[in-house]
Amino acid sequence: MRVSLDWLRELCPFDADSSRVAAILTGRGLTVDALEQSGSDTVLDLDIPANRPDCLGHLGVARELSAALGLPLLDLPTVPSESTALSITIADPVLCPRYSASMVSEVCVAPSPDWVVRRLEACGQRSVNNVVDASNLVLLELGHPIHFFDADAVRRRAGGDPAKITIRLAREGERLRTLDGIDRILDRETLVIADDLGPLAIAGVIGGADTEIVESTVNVLIEAACFCRRTVRDASRRLGIDSDAAYRFARGVDPEGAPRAQVRAAMLLTELADGRTTGAVTDLYPGRSGPARLTLHPGEIRRLLGFAPETEAIRQALEALHLAPQAAADGALLVRIPSWRVDLEREADLVEEVARHVGYDRVPSHPPTSAPTEPPQRISAMEESVRDLLSAAGFHETVGYAMLAAAEDGDWIATGAPQGVAIANPIAETLAVLRRSMMPGLLKAALSNRRRGIDDVRLFEVGRCFVALPGSSAAPLEPTRAAFVWIGAGAPRHWSRPARDVDIYDILGLVERAVAALAPAAELRRVDCGVPGLRPKESTGWQLANGSFVGRAGRLHPRAEGELGIPVYVAELELDSLASVEPGWPRHQPLPRLAPVTRDLSLVVEGGLTFSAILAALGRIDAPAPARFEAIDRYEGPELGPGRSSLTIRVILQPFERTLTDAEIEGYRLRLVETLAARLGIGLRG
Amino acid sequence: MSRPPGQEADLSALRERLTRIREAFDDASRAAEDPATVEAVRVRFLGRRGELTEALRALAQIPAESKPAIGKEINALRTYIEDSVARAAESAGIAAMRLELARSAGDLTLPPRRPWVGSMHPVTRTRRELETIFREVGYRVEVGPEVEDDFHNFQALNLPPGHPARDATDTFYLVGGLLLRTHTSPVQIRTMERQAPPIRMVCPGRVYRRDMDATHLPMFHQIEALCVGEGISMADLKGTLAHVWQRFFGADVAMRLRPGYFPFVEPGCEYDISCQVCRGRGCRVCKNTGWIELGGAGMVHPAVFEAVGIDPQVHSGFAFGLGLDRIAMMRHGIDDLRLLVDGDIRFLDQFAV
Repeated sequence: MRVSLDWLRELCPFDADSSRVAAILTGRGLTVDALEQSGSDTVLDLDIPANRPDCLGHLGVARELSAALGLPLLDLPTVPSESTALSITIADPVLCPRYSASMVSEVCVAPSPDWVVRRLEACGQRSVNNVVDASNLVLLELGHPIHFFDADAVRRRAGGDPAKITIRLAREGERLRTLDGIDRILDRETLVIADDLGPLAIAGVIGGADTEIVESTVNVLIEAACFCRRTVRDASRRLGIDSDAAYRFARGVDPEGAPRAQVRAAMLLTELADGRTTGAVTDLYPGRSGPARLTLHPGEIRRLLGFAPETEAIRQALEALHLAPQAAADGALLVRIPSWRVDLEREADLVEEVARHVGYDRVPSHPPTSAPTEPPQRISAMEESVRDLLSAAGFHETVGYAMLAAAEDGDWIATGAPQGVAIANPIAETLAVLRRSMMPGLLKAALSNRRRGIDDVRLFEVGRCFVALPGSSAAPLEPTRAAFVWIGAGAPRHWSRPARDVDIYDILGLVERAVAALAPAAELRRVDCGVPGLRPKESTGWQLANGSFVGRAGRLHPRAEGELGIPVYVAELELDSLASVEPGWPRHQPLPRLAPVTRDLSLVVEGGLTFSAILAALGRIDAPAPARFEAIDRYEGPELGPGRSSLTIRVILQPFERTLTDAEIEGYRLRLVETLAARLGIGLRG
Repeated sequence: MSRPPGQEADLSALRERLTRIREAFDDASRAAEDPATVEAVRVRFLGRRGELTEALRALAQIPAESKPAIGKEINALRTYIEDSVARAAESAGIAAMRLELARSAGDLTLPPRRPWVGSMHPVTRTRRELETIFREVGYRVEVGPEVEDDFHNFQALNLPPGHPARDATDTFYLVGGLLLRTHTSPVQIRTMERQAPPIRMVCPGRVYRRDMDATHLPMFHQIEALCVGEGISMADLKGTLAHVWQRFFGADVAMRLRPGYFPFVEPGCEYDISCQVCRGRGCRVCKNTGWIELGGAGMVHPAVFEAVGIDPQVHSGFAFGLGLDRIAMMRHGIDDLRLLVDGDIRFLDQFAV
């Protein structure tokens, strides 16, 4: 809110300059965002917190300055004479605790004098005419919204008789053309000011077009009221009208301020537009309630602030803030809440008032004391480990939006999986549903990087995906996943040798390495990758022994790879599954004293036969010592014939107790060869 | 004593032979500069068929009474040759090593084989740094769902339906009525629902607001801390804030609290630190105030305690929060928010691990 320093000085006679005023207000919670010159005046741009509607006018800001500086606040005339000349009915005092109206006659609508134009400009408003400006000046000065009706227009609607005004809820389907020229259809939750013909205005939000102030207006009906905060707020939101009045009513307007606003408005209409007033106001106040009272215990101040100012300082603070403290039992203070302070509801609020007044600088500083703490949840630790692992492996961490376009992630979801959770009020079509996979975002980032001329792209993201529970209104599951994409070189490029492109074995190796590091005790089983986004013959999934899915990796489907025009390898890991694996520690194995014995078998393998099938066959043969097998070379060449390859397997025997004899070793080797020939039909290379 | 002339002749011939051997050895030895030649010299003179070995065989022809003397000479020559060969071998070895060391291994200014180095997102780095600082003073890292219900995101935080402070947070609602959390505060609520005081927790995470422009993303990161117990006061809040920011930014950082409004705290405050760009002197970044606003804080509102079943008469607590993205940008001098979500490797690579 823009506030004029000159205007503030008219309400509280301070000498302080603008920067001191800014420091005071900021220190009291009315943050000054900027200071600006406006002619000879200085404008303060204030950030008024939502709980301080009393400061949404110059009077309230001046009240804070008067409290801070110990200066008087200039009184404004507040006591109009009562009248019952107008027929007004309030249907529900909860929705409209107070409604007052008065007449100013014979106004002359004309341009406003210069000082009004300047003052409005300083506050960021444009002058309209002297009458409209008068209502805006009241709002800016007192923070109390008022509304002007063209009294003759109101009378004309009533066929020339005095209008009977009712403040009531609209009837379903009632219509009103508001003064922004829009025809509005109202509902039964909207509070209106109505006459016998129907609504004249939407209470606290906006006036009607046919009773608005126009150039020919002569007689003005002034409304100063107080409406239910929630009702005004909801109407303003439903209708999409963000008026200054609605903003203030929604936050809470001082019902006791209505007469002051009446008097001030009448004064301004007299001064600016030559109006005449009797000073008589029809004032209905069915929602009157006595001042709220609260008790403040100095002990509570000490408990919440860590210190307590002296009793006298507390009393002075409360007095400066118009809280009228009185001594109560046990050293407590009984305070009376001013009608404009809608934010003071509990003792803690009063503690803040005292702290605000003495200054937050007075609060001492106690350094933290440490205490043992529980370890973090396993999933958090898992997330951190996977970040360490992938960044150490040369991948760059990205952060992607959790929202994407509907069905954009279809390639990464098993067929028949539930739909994505849709956002009811998306900010863009491209961010309309919650992601079920991180892959689309990651691939987009990969594509942008390729377009920037980056050949090697290695990106990863760790984050949540959202999986709806079909047929349930419960919150979706939020699995934590790590996803990565690998494009370009398979190993660091170096001038000493030609670059090697990434291939399927790189991504499979990285995933299995990651799982081994994150969940060493996990026993993985290969399964189908389960999604249509990967090539079926160049992908795999992994499962734990208990069937929970651990992740998938592979090369993008040609359909998805097309745009990138280069082989793309990706993987996704389910970190929740990995976190479910019991953590363990490596068990030490005794070291062998004897050297291992190795024998290489160069086999000629027919197309369909896999390494794992060969391993399974080899593993079943009795060995003279613990044996393991490594693939050390694979070769395809014309001399082998089509569909055949040469695979060299190194057999490693690790004796523990005694040296193996040549006969034992050779016998074992022959058994291996015979078994491979008999079971799998493969033989040694010629 | 007379000797047969033939034997006299053998003796002098042997003497002459020894002299020649010595001269020949000296010549060969001088020429031997590398270990292989030195070894060849050794074999030529001391080997099984070496010249000195052969000369020794001629000793058989020498009369017995002359043998000790000439034998001594032969031994002296052997010792001489052995020592010389050993010295030559040593210096040839050193020379050879020098030669090897002098040989160029190639242009070492060419780029070496560097292992790949990935990177950690600046927000991750900042979050981890803060988590560590909090853990050191006994805070546990808690996480909670990003899809929340109205109760945990608003109502339990003293934001009942219709509260004007709800307007400030443009909320993404999901079809069906749930919402994307607008702050990490619901994790505080969930922690207090689950755990009785004392509580010290810190909750980092992604949050969502329906806002997208040069300074706002619809998704960003917050971290909040909560400390609840008996006798926890604003002085503890102040001290903890000071500790955290002095650990993070350095011991000379100044901090101040200002009154501020957040419905879930009372008294509430905003906290500033001295501008890290101008060190408090005033600059464009701090709008010449010398202060940078970091976030909101305050004493947990009694209504929040009531919502989670903690007695506000017995327990008190403080909470504070901040935007991780902004701290990360301050930390690393990042001036464009969008870089944080672009996935641009040229940017990410600047945060190599």
